[in-house]
Amino acid sequence: MSPRLKHVFRRAFRSLWENAYLNSVSAGVIAATTLLFGVYLAVQFNLNKMVDTWDRDIHISAYFHPDVPENRRFDVRDEIATRSEVTKVRYVSSEAANEWMQVRMPAMEDILKELGSDTLPSSLEISLTASAARPTAIDAFARTLSVTDFSDVDYGQEWIEKFQGFMAMLKLLGAIMGSLILVAATFLVMNTVHLVVYNRKEELEIQKLVGATEGYVMAPFLVEGLIQGLIGSLLALGGLAAVHRLLVARLKDAFELAVTADLQFLPSSYIALLFAAGSILGVVAALLAVQRFLSKVT
Amino acid sequence: MIRAYHVTKRYGDVHALRDVTVKLGKGEFCYVTGPSGAGKTTMLKMLYGAVQPTEGKLLVGGVDVSRLSKRRLPYLRRNIGIVFQDFKLIPTRTLAENVGLALEVLGTSRDVIDRRVNAVLGIVGLRGRGHEYPPTLSGGEQQRVAVARAIVNDPSILLADEPTGNLDGAMAIEVMEILQAINLRGTTVMVATHDTGLMNRFPFRKLRFEAGRLVES
Repeated sequence: MSPRLKHVFRRAFRSLWENAYLNSVSAGVIAATTLLFGVYLAVQFNLNKMVDTWDRDIHISAYFHPDVPENRRFDVRDEIATRSEVTKVRYVSSEAANEWMQVRMPAMEDILKELGSDTLPSSLEISLTASAARPTAIDAFARTLSVTDFSDVDYGQEWIEKFQGFMAMLKLLGAIMGSLILVAATFLVMNTVHLVVYNRKEELEIQKLVGATEGYVMAPFLVEGLIQGLIGSLLALGGLAAVHRLLVARLKDAFELAVTADLQFLPSSYIALLFAAGSILGVVAALLAVQRFLSKVT
Repeated sequence: MIRAYHVTKRYGDVHALRDVTVKLGKGEFCYVTGPSGAGKTTMLKMLYGAVQPTEGKLLVGGVDVSRLSKRRLPYLRRNIGIVFQDFKLIPTRTLAENVGLALEVLGTSRDVIDRRVNAVLGIVGLRGRGHEYPPTLSGGEQQRVAVARAIVNDPSILLADEPTGNLDGAMAIEVMEILQAINLRGTTVMVATHDTGLMNRFPFRKLRFEAGRLVES
């Protein structure tokens, strides 16, 4: 390591120690901001994952006209099974649908029995590849199913569109809120660093008088900002892990929903993003604060 | 070493310096003198690039200070040692750290810094006291530390703005003797002062300013 770099790091660590309180405040603000960012990332990540899972689970239920003969129904099933977008086709007879309904809704068992086993239409349950299960693709696939064979085709299109709209809104809200929080946090950290800079005003003025470049004066503050950012991110990550644990436990206790078991913690790429965000916040705030100070020193 | 051609400095409508033309050779010792507000400090500030002339040309060690960019300024200052009336020492740093600061910004290694700092503390009569802190020192000693910091990187020019202003007679003489010794080693020294007693005791060339004009050189 070059002597200049050694001096920079020595000054940075010394200042971190000497201004421990102010530096803790900066790291705390970065931690709070990064935690909010982490929560947003976690929500988005889990919702995306959920959508992916649902996309995989999405299948088309195509209900046959009652007057389509049974051998034609099998021919249609076989024809659909040969399509490249289709992974599986299952024929559900009227009787099987009736039985399934009786099992699922025991309260309606008597009514269903009275109505007879052919009340519910026979159908095909068509599972698609992941790309074909995307909303636009599934819609296009559904349109290719013959209207002469099927009376109704159902794949929850309305629900998918609503959920997609919700996701888009969530992303937009996240972006707006994130920007506002980021600006506020940068301002807060910048002012805290500014206090540290003013604490060392005399020293920095003397450094300039003895021939220090602006880069040399700035460098220790940028190192401090980076360290504050990393510490802040680490704290945020700890907070996020605690919130995740608590949430999983609470949701499990409250609802016993399978979905809560799938509530995942951030993957490593998102954790790296979190650290990058905290570090950038610390460095940028320090840079702005020192630049503001240096612009006033001759 | 220093050349000023028709240098004028204005702050709004107020003239701090008017049409100053002067030359100072390598290894020369001179006083910048005159009453308060005559332009002594402005002249010195211009020499180390803290202010730029409004008109005229100012060359310091061959560098045109009147056209110097902010980016080049640190490199000019590395060749100039500066001593202030109020010492400008960092109270929370040891004497060695205060003196070593001028070498740190140059990227000098710790070993070399320690060697040079010990040597210059010896020159100013503070050998072996590098571990002490400025507030524990007398005014004269603090000013000697400031001088040590100014000469630690062996500059070709030493500027001192009222270096004895805060010191009593004996201490002022001590500091002047050190400045004289530094000058004898070949450093150009310029001292701003209005202490006539000191100027008589250490007789050197005088640049006398009145209301921003150079009236005696």
